[in-house]
Amino acid sequence: MPLPHVPPTAGSLDVALFAGMAEAAGRRRVTLAWSGGTVADLRRRLAAACPEIAPLLERSAVARGDRYATDGEPIAAGDDVALIPPVSGG
Amino acid sequence: MAHAVDHDPRVTLVTLDADPLDPAAVLAAVGARAAGGNVLFVGTVRDVTGDVATTRLEYEAHAPLARAELARLCGEAADRFDLVAVAVSHRLGVVEPGDASVAVAASAAHRREAFAAAEWLMERIKATVPIWKCDHAPDGGRSWVHGQASAERGP
Repeated sequence: MPLPHVPPTAGSLDVALFAGMAEAAGRRRVTLAWSGGTVADLRRRLAAACPEIAPLLERSAVARGDRYATDGEPIAAGDDVALIPPVSGG
Repeated sequence: MAHAVDHDPRVTLVTLDADPLDPAAVLAAVGARAAGGNVLFVGTVRDVTGDVATTRLEYEAHAPLARAELARLCGEAADRFDLVAVAVSHRLGVVEPGDASVAVAASAAHRREAFAAAEWLMERIKATVPIWKCDHAPDGGRSWVHGQASAERGP
């Protein structure tokens, strides 16, 4: 990410946004207070915290590190998480 | 920047960066004495889609995930099509009409597998690799392309 960001602290989750999702949110990261939960929990929290991304969020995958994550997968505070809206490379 | 692909010797080149794309280098990366068919596909930016003009495209990616996915797809292509070698380069940043945004190359003992692999790889890249294009129009308008749903995407 080109923008500087504060290293994640315990109990928080930094979620990276890209492309039209970053544009809709007006920022490239959303930081949530986070004490643990699944990818599905994260989706619900993000939709509530950032309603302007909700339409794209429904069509997005979630990535942790350099892998895609399934909805049942646990996410810990400080994990490297990103939202992946429908892709358009090529 | 070339990505080190040390886990699969058949995946000879994976790049994702803002440098001008060199299709000849992608083709050269799959050259091998065991290969009898070498296929290179080059995707270039169109200046018009239907009746909508494009002045330029701008690409963005989740780079670590995109490089990992590109390498993983190349390895899967090598398995599926019994390739000798496979390589891919994708652009980031601004790409002008006529310029290459993506190149894939595949080599195999025979041409059929190499053609099929290049087609399959392009389909998968466009469906699952976290790269996005922003379309810039002549009137100054810009729009990120998020066309297809990604319901089936998973690890």
